[in-house]
Amino acid sequence: MRQAVPWVLLACVLAYDGYAVATGSNYTLRVLSVAGIYAIAALGYQFIFGHAGALALSQGTFVGVGAYASAIAAVRWGLPFDAALPLSIGLPVLLAALIAIPVLRLQTHYFALATLIIGQIVQLAATDWIGLTGGANGIGGIPGLSLLGAPIRNGWPTLALVWSTAALGALIVWAVMRGRRGAASAIMRANPVAARAVGIDTARLRFVAFLLSAAFAGAAGSLYVHVIRVISPEVLSFPVMVTILTIAVIGSRLRIAGAIVGAVLVIEMPEWFRFMRDDYLLAYGVILLLVVVTIPEGVVAAAERLFRAGTAPAPPRAADRTFVFPGAALEIHDVRRRFGGVTALDGVSLSVRPGEVLGLIGPNGSGKTTLVNAITGIFPAQSGTIRFAGTDVSRLLPHRIARHGIARTFQTVALVDDMTALDNVALAAPGTWRTARGGAMVLLERMGVDEPMRRCGELPYGMRRRVEIARALASRPRLLLLDEPAAGLNETEQADLTRRLRELARSGLSMIVIEHNIPFLAPLADRMICLDDGRTIAQGRPAEVQADPRVIEAYLGQLAPAAP
Amino acid sequence: MLLPLALNVLALGASYALVALGFVLILNATGAVNFAQGDLVMIGGFVTVVLASYLPVPAIVLLPILLAAMAALGVLIALAAYFPLRNRPPEAVFISTIAVGIILQNAATVLFGPEPKAAPPLLGVGEFDFGGMFVSRQSLAVIAVATLLIGSLYTLFAHTQFGRRLRAVAQDREVAAAIGIPVDAMIAGTFAVGTALAGAAGLLLANTFFVTPTEGANYILKAYIAIVIGGWGSIPGAVAGALLIALFEVLYPSMPVLLPAVGTGSGLFSQNTSTIVLDVVILLTLVVRPQGLFGEAIRQRP
Repeated sequence: MRQAVPWVLLACVLAYDGYAVATGSNYTLRVLSVAGIYAIAALGYQFIFGHAGALALSQGTFVGVGAYASAIAAVRWGLPFDAALPLSIGLPVLLAALIAIPVLRLQTHYFALATLIIGQIVQLAATDWIGLTGGANGIGGIPGLSLLGAPIRNGWPTLALVWSTAALGALIVWAVMRGRRGAASAIMRANPVAARAVGIDTARLRFVAFLLSAAFAGAAGSLYVHVIRVISPEVLSFPVMVTILTIAVIGSRLRIAGAIVGAVLVIEMPEWFRFMRDDYLLAYGVILLLVVVTIPEGVVAAAERLFRAGTAPAPPRAADRTFVFPGAALEIHDVRRRFGGVTALDGVSLSVRPGEVLGLIGPNGSGKTTLVNAITGIFPAQSGTIRFAGTDVSRLLPHRIARHGIARTFQTVALVDDMTALDNVALAAPGTWRTARGGAMVLLERMGVDEPMRRCGELPYGMRRRVEIARALASRPRLLLLDEPAAGLNETEQADLTRRLRELARSGLSMIVIEHNIPFLAPLADRMICLDDGRTIAQGRPAEVQADPRVIEAYLGQLAPAAP
Repeated sequence: MLLPLALNVLALGASYALVALGFVLILNATGAVNFAQGDLVMIGGFVTVVLASYLPVPAIVLLPILLAAMAALGVLIALAAYFPLRNRPPEAVFISTIAVGIILQNAATVLFGPEPKAAPPLLGVGEFDFGGMFVSRQSLAVIAVATLLIGSLYTLFAHTQFGRRLRAVAQDREVAAAIGIPVDAMIAGTFAVGTALAGAAGLLLANTFFVTPTEGANYILKAYIAIVIGGWGSIPGAVAGALLIALFEVLYPSMPVLLPAVGTGSGLFSQNTSTIVLDVVILLTLVVRPQGLFGEAIRQRP
C-alpha cells in the first residue's frame, strides 16, 4: 500500500498534465512546462539538500549559469538547444567543482552563507559583464527548443519534451540513490562520524552529490531559456533558489515523487489564486508557511506515513556461508593527544595480538574513548605511531582506517533510526548491494537480531546494540573496538553478549573492549589495561589488574579524594 | 573630509549592528537562523512611514511606538514559524522564516506599492558646522540612537534577571528548563527584542536610503556576514562585524577620492564591484578561518 503512494501521486500529476493539454491555453501549457523544468532542478537539488543533507543555496545559481550558457551559445554561435546542452550541464558542474574545494567542508550555516555569496557574485558578474551577457537587459531572441535539427513547437510538444526529460532525470536519481548510496547517505546525515567509521568517504559522497545537483540544474536552465526565449540576471536572483528550496521541502526532500509533486504544486499554486488579484502572492506565502509548519516532512512523505502500517517486505535470503574474522595485530607506541589545555592521552603504548581480547578500563575521563578515537582517526594522535597489521595507520583518514580492517561501535548507539536493521548493517558490507544484504542477514542472525526488517528506531535498546555490532562486523574487520558494549543491558542480555563475543574471538578476531562493568569484562578479556589521566597505570591478566593497588586507587580516588 | 566619512561609517555600521544583534540573539536562543530578519528591517521602515503620515513628528518620537509594534510582531513570528518546529532540525526554521519573509515582502507590496518611500529624519534636517566641516544632523542622531539602543541591550543582558535568564537559555535550553526558567517565554521575548532591533534599524535607515519591499535580501546578507566575521554567536562580534562591513562599504567606493593615485578605473570602484570584493573577502575568510575572525562563540551542535 505504502509503495503505491508515490505512484498514485504521480498519476495525479500526469492526469493534471493531460487535462491541461486537452483544455488549456498556450499560457497554461507554458506554466506547466516551467513546472517540469523546476521539477528537474528540484530532483537535482535533492542530491545535495536531501541525500547529502547540506543546506546549499546555490542551485538557483547553477540553473542561471546553465541558462546563460545556452542563451549565449544560441545567440552568438547559433548553437541549437541539443548541441549546447553539454555546455549548459558542464559549466555549472565545473563551477560546482571549483567552489566545492574550499566550501563543501564548511558547517551547515557557513555552507549556506558561502553558497549564497557565490550566487550574489555570479549575479553581479552577469549584470556587469555587458559584452558577454547583455548586462541588466539580458539577451532576447533566443530560439525555441529543437531536437536534431527539428524544431519543437510551443504547446504540447514542448511540454512533452520537458516532462520526458524530467522523467529521465527521475530515473537517473532512482538508479543513483537506490541501494548502497542511499543507505550510505542516510548514515552520513544521521551521524557523519559513524559513517566514516564504517568506511564511507563522506567528503566524496558530498562532492558527488554537489556535482550531480549542478548537472541537473544546468539541464533545467537550458530548457528554461529555450522555453521562455529571453534571459536576464533575474534568473540568477534569490527567488529562483527559494522556489527550488520550497519545492524540495513541500514535496519531501528525499522522495523522487516529492520533487515532481512539489514542482507542480508550487508553480501552479499562484495560478490557482489568480482570482485573488493582487493578493495572490501573499496567499502563496501564507500557504507555504502553513505547509512547512504543519507537514515539515513534505506531502509525499506525509502521505506515505498515513499508509505506513502494513506488512514489512520479506527479508532477503541469508548468504549461505559463515564468516571468519582472521585477526591482526595492533601496536600503539607513545601516542599523545591534547584538547586545548587538557592532555587526554599522555604517551600511551599498548599492543593487541591477533585473536586477543584486550579489556580497557579506567575511571571517567581517563582517555579510553579518546584512545579509540585516535585509533580510528576521528581525533588523530598528535604524536606517536599506531601500526595495524604491519602498516602505519596513524595519519590516515577515518574511512581509510576502517577499510584497513578496524571497526568500532559507539558509546551511544549510532544507527539510522529510519532505516531497517538489515540496511543499517548492509551499508558497511563490501560487494554489490545484493551480496551485502545477504551477508548482513548472516551477521544479524549471528548476533541474535530476529527482526531484520524492523526499522531501528522501533527496536528495543539491547537489540540496537546488537545491530551496531553486526554493522561493525559487516566490514570484515580484523580488529573490533567496542565502546561500553554492556552499558544499559540487563544481566541476561549481558550473558548473551559475552557468549557471542567469545565466539567471535574464537574465530580469530582481535578486540579491544572498553567497559566499566568488571564482572562483564573479566571473563571476556584475555588481558586488561587500566588507563588513568591519559597514561597506562597497569596491565596484565584481569585478576592481577583488578588487584593492583594503583588501579584501586585510581577508581577509589574518584569516589573519595585521598587525605593529604 | 575624514570626519564626515567616519561619521558615515559609524551611522551605517550602527544601523547594521542593530540588525546583526537581533539576528544573533535569536540564533543564540534557538540555534536557528531567522531568515526574515532583513525583511523585518524593511517592515520597520514602512511602519515608520505609515506612523509619520498620521503623526507628523520627528522620527525619534515614533521610535517607542515602533519598538512596541515590532516586538508584538516578533512574538507573532515566534508563534507561527518557530514554536511548531522547535524539535525539528534548524534548517526547518530557516525555511519557515523564508516563508515569513515572502509574506512580509508581498504584504508590503500590496499595502505600500513597489516605489521607494522615505521616513522622516530622527530630529530634523540640516548640518552642523564643525570648524568648516559639515556633518549631517541625521548621521549624528542615528549614531546616538543606535548607541543608546545597544547600550540598553547591554544593560538588559548584564544587569537584569530577564537578561541573565536569556543568557542561560542561550547556553543550554534543557538545563535552563530544568532549573525552572520559563524557556518558551524567554524565546518569545528574544524574538520580540530581535524583531524590535530590526525595526529600529529600519527607522534609522529609511530616511537616508528610502525603503522598498524587496530590500530585505540585502540586509539579511549583511547581518549574516557580520555574524560570520564576528564569530558565530558572539554578541560583541556581531557589532564589530557590522562596523567592518560599513567601513568597507563607505571607504571602498570613495577610494578614487581618498587616494587619487589609484585612479578611477573603469567601474573598478562601482557599487557592484564593491559588493563583489566584499563577497570574495568573506569567502576567503570562511576558507581560511571557518570559525570567523574572532572565533566561534557557540559550538554548532551536531
